[in-house]
Amino acid sequence: MRNEAVPAPRPLPAPRAWYQSVRFLAFLVILIVIYAYGWRVTQIDIPALGSGTQFVKPFVRDLVRPDVLSRDTQTQEVLVGMSIDPAVPPDEVRAAAGGPQVAVSTRVAPVGSKVAVTGTGFQPDANGDLFWLSAIGNPAHVGAFRTDAQGRFTATITVPELFRGPEAGAEGLRQRLRVRVTWPVGALKLSNTLLIVLDKVVETVFLALMGTTIAVVVAVPLSFLGARNLMTRNPIGTSIYYLTRSFFNIMRSIEPLILAIVFTVWVGLGPFAGTLALALHSVAALGKLYSEQIESIDPGPIEAITATGATALQVVRYGVVPQIVPPFISFTIYRWDTNVRMSTVIGFVGGGGIGFILQQYINLLQYRQAATAVWAIAIVVAAMDYFSAKVREKVV
Amino acid sequence: MKGAALRIEHLNKVYADGTAALRDVTFDVKPGEFLIIIGLSGSGKSTLMRCINRLIEPTSGKIYLDDVEITALSHSELRKIRRHIGMIFQQFNLVKRSSVLTNVLSGRLGYVPSTWSLMNYFPRGEMDRAMANLARVGITEKARTRADQLSGGQQQRVGIARALMQEPRLMLADEPVASLDPATSHSVLKYVEELNKKDGVTVFCALHFLSLARRYGTRILALKAGQIVFDGLPAEIDEHRFKAIYGEEAVEVEIR
Repeated sequence: MRNEAVPAPRPLPAPRAWYQSVRFLAFLVILIVIYAYGWRVTQIDIPALGSGTQFVKPFVRDLVRPDVLSRDTQTQEVLVGMSIDPAVPPDEVRAAAGGPQVAVSTRVAPVGSKVAVTGTGFQPDANGDLFWLSAIGNPAHVGAFRTDAQGRFTATITVPELFRGPEAGAEGLRQRLRVRVTWPVGALKLSNTLLIVLDKVVETVFLALMGTTIAVVVAVPLSFLGARNLMTRNPIGTSIYYLTRSFFNIMRSIEPLILAIVFTVWVGLGPFAGTLALALHSVAALGKLYSEQIESIDPGPIEAITATGATALQVVRYGVVPQIVPPFISFTIYRWDTNVRMSTVIGFVGGGGIGFILQQYINLLQYRQAATAVWAIAIVVAAMDYFSAKVREKVV
Repeated sequence: MKGAALRIEHLNKVYADGTAALRDVTFDVKPGEFLIIIGLSGSGKSTLMRCINRLIEPTSGKIYLDDVEITALSHSELRKIRRHIGMIFQQFNLVKRSSVLTNVLSGRLGYVPSTWSLMNYFPRGEMDRAMANLARVGITEKARTRADQLSGGQQQRVGIARALMQEPRLMLADEPVASLDPATSHSVLKYVEELNKKDGVTVFCALHFLSLARRYGTRILALKAGQIVFDGLPAEIDEHRFKAIYGEEAVEVEIR
């Protein structure tokens, strides 16, 4: 039966449509303005992604074939004297008897004319290159070929226009053709690049280790000065507390990369500068974490162990140490892991480590070598990440 | 182990902020008594307990354990007397990251040589004693477990085992079952009762539930705003007295 005393629920007022809210509209307009400005300021240029593919392609292609393994190579080389002016006879440079021989359709070939080149007696089934050498020996790559099963090849080249020397006399017109055949011998072995990269990887990991260790030594005592529960009992302690905390906060906000620039000026290029940069940044980062751990200590066990008649040292050993040491270890390993990641870029500004050679390889367009470094960084960082996660799991 | 007598004379405690937590508290505890102290939160129970082993320094008054005046002891003498006063806590106060065994062994720190103990070395005999005390509270199989892996009841039993390591003559229990469920409360209090009945250890225990107080106590003390308002047998607390201790609004809640 219905209870008449209970009034029917009043209908709720109809909600205003969202576009009726002026404040919301204003908010929307401001948001659009902000993003429109942001789009302009950051010069977002989506078509550049398309037109730039040709530049990035070699890099990406080489990324999947890093320079890791290589084989020794052997080469055969034959030089032929050429002239680009009928008035000047070519040098009498000929192949040594008994070795591979090269014949050309003409030894006097003006710039732009075509020359047929045939060779015999080369290494069978090997790759070869043809270079046109100027009078002072600067090469221009003019063709490539592959020898057949008998070690023969034929190719046609176009004579290039090259620098003819300081005084453009007869000497500048005597040029040469170089035929070079290269083939690998022996087993695969670690490439030279890989050895250099591995050496730098070791340097990177130790750079991070030393930086972290120096930071721990400094941060542990400092963290007690930065712990509110210990320090804010009197005005002097309080001011030390605020000083320490400000130091932590300011130093933490400066990127290690910038610190590394400062230290390279101070102690010179190399891993020591990087170590100092990482150490200084880590002092602040670890100090803050340590202090917060000290602040969150549980006073209960300290009280309980004091009540058993333990000495002050025993109370610290059994009541305080178990509460702070495992988290300290955990924070430290995490920091080391972070520092390994940071030390890979610190080399970019000359702070040592793998970043230095990575930058060099990129600048010299040696993308396969750069790929080796990139992969090494990825593997080391991932391994450190995994290792530190495992250890932290165990410790805390 | 024999129970100790406790005598408290004109004990006062005024905190730095001016709060008077204890006002002229005087009472006697005979050896082997199971004395229960009740009272509202903030009535001074915890302060009184901590004054006895001087975790809190009383402002004035005297405390005697047998004939030793605790309030007059030097620092090192105080440590020696603390060895005979076991204490268990509402929040158990175990070192959560340490193993159960380490927690129990830490109850023995007052007896073992300091240097060895700092390197976490305990003589064979102490290890055996710790295992025996764990056996007494029925959790030997948890010896190597981290303390925070245990349930509340188990943690309090570890707390009791830790106090047992001290071979206490007086046991202070500051609301030992206030964070436990009723069934676990009984199992924990039974261990305390056994300690009292079998070993004759004097027990001084703060409790919240009158039903528990009546079941375990041989005598009840009530504190209100730092003053003793009742001292007598459990059976003597009737409705009228109950309201006098807890206020007019209070209704007794039973836990069986």
